Amino acid sequence: MSGIVIGNTLRTSWKQILYWGLGLGALGLYIDFIASSPDIISGYAELFKTMPPAMLKAFGASDVALFTTSEGWIVSIFVSEAAIFLSVFAVMAGLNITANDEQSGVMDVILSLPISRAAYILERWIGYALIGLAIILLTAAITVGGMVGMNIEAPSDVVFASILNLYPSVLLVMTVTSLLATVMRRRVVAIGLSAAFVIVSYLFNAIGAAAGGAAADLMERLSYFSYVHGEAFVLGTYDPANTVLVLLAVAIGFGLSLRMFVSRDIGI
Amino acid sequence: MASGSIIEIKGLSKTYGSGSKQTAALSNLNLSVNQGEIFGYLGPNGAGKTTTIRLLLDLIRPSQGDAKIFGMDVRAESVEIHRRIGFFPAELSLWEGRTGDQIIHYVASVRGDTRGIVKHAGELAERLDLDTTKRVRDLSSGNKRKLGLVIAMMHSPELLILDEPTGGLDPLVQQTFHTMMDEYRDKGKTVFLSSHILSEVQAICDRVGILRDGELKAVESVEKITNVEFNWVDVNFRDAVPAGLQQKLENMPTITDVSANGARVRMRMIGDFDPLLRAISDGYVESLHIEEPTLEEIFLAYYSGDKETS
Repeated sequence: MSGIVIGNTLRTSWKQILYWGLGLGALGLYIDFIASSPDIISGYAELFKTMPPAMLKAFGASDVALFTTSEGWIVSIFVSEAAIFLSVFAVMAGLNITANDEQSGVMDVILSLPISRAAYILERWIGYALIGLAIILLTAAITVGGMVGMNIEAPSDVVFASILNLYPSVLLVMTVTSLLATVMRRRVVAIGLSAAFVIVSYLFNAIGAAAGGAAADLMERLSYFSYVHGEAFVLGTYDPANTVLVLLAVAIGFGLSLRMFVSRDIGI
Repeated sequence: MASGSIIEIKGLSKTYGSGSKQTAALSNLNLSVNQGEIFGYLGPNGAGKTTTIRLLLDLIRPSQGDAKIFGMDVRAESVEIHRRIGFFPAELSLWEGRTGDQIIHYVASVRGDTRGIVKHAGELAERLDLDTTKRVRDLSSGNKRKLGLVIAMMHSPELLILDEPTGGLDPLVQQTFHTMMDEYRDKGKTVFLSSHILSEVQAICDRVGILRDGELKAVESVEKITNVEFNWVDVNFRDAVPAGLQQKLENMPTITDVSANGARVRMRMIGDFDPLLRAISDGYVESLHIEEPTLEEIFLAYYSGDKETS
């Protein structure tokens, strides 16, 4: 592995980092702004008290008390919304790993160069994984910077860690999309199935969290959204095993994707 | 590997689909290309030319058989092979938002010798009159193909694999390309060139393989394969076609497919012109047009009874 493809991927995608990071950072600043006003927070808290628990879950919190603190507000609302936006980025990144170049025909030129298919897909994956990390770090820096700038009394490390906790889910969606693209070969099918994966995950999380019973618990556990809840950092209940589980799924997904890409015909 | 062979293909087959939908794109191909020759790979669209090239580049995997380049298996040692070859795809696609220079630098860096390769790329671009500072999306299709040629040739590969390289290039650039191919041969390098343009193959190739419906029909020298001595002849008379001329022409052993329409008579002719000129001398000939056979007609002639007459 020479790192040339990683370098090229980063060089050609720095605008993505900037735009996504600034966009999500702006969302973070907006959430910060609301959190800086105790009146608004208490108003929302009153509103949330009237909501059924299922709807509350959709906002990323299991307890309405979480919304009465600045960090609880930022982490619950922002992380839930950022998770959805980052899923969109992750699907696009997953397509960029191989599918877009294969569909356009550029892959024929690339794979006629002295680089193995395995090295190419690995470097592309690492490149987009680094881009995802850079976007999340930029987002977290802007959001936490906004907190400091607006004199919000909230632990920066908790907010930073809860935003950083989005990263494994980004890797998961990106890898699932890449796997679907290498298996299905057709970009449009991969997009459809990846979107379905994100939507079904979201619904499983919402329904699973709202309903009771073993089946609902299973649905929630099957959704990657259930592993990115920021409230665990506020409540001090974060379990690293959940992150390890997601990363394990990423490793398996990438292994399958690599195996498929190396063994099949290109561009048919 | 045969002595001096750069490409050695044995029993290579490729089928797509499965069950009743299975189609054979290439059947039991056996072929060797020698060092220092320009080998033309001729065939109509859909004959299997691109399939062969994609198999050689390990972009697709064979259903049967194997192929070697430089004595190395195209699957097992593809990275080492790709280091020593240059490739131009028929349907060239490049990064639309990037400039020629950026693409050249990227490809050169993957090849591992940026400085030397980029310098040579500049020389090639100059010869082909290509502006590499423009983005690909701003280049005409001809200039995109020039960039593709630069990328294929900039590291001075030992083997060039070119799939329909000159389509869309203007005649002047085609001439430059032909000169470049001659220079390649003079340096002892090898070119595998697929084409369906007979004149191009005649101009630059040493040997030709003819592919049809996925099967290699013949491998011959260019002279032999293109020496199908028939022409289409159109004779335009000032007035009507002279009475009895059509019958007269049809009775001549060297003339077939005679058709008369008004003042014009068209025929397919083999051999010398003198018998024809004598036959048409009864009328006032306004113009005479001689048309060379198309590649498809040469194929047909080569594989039909006309083969013996050529």
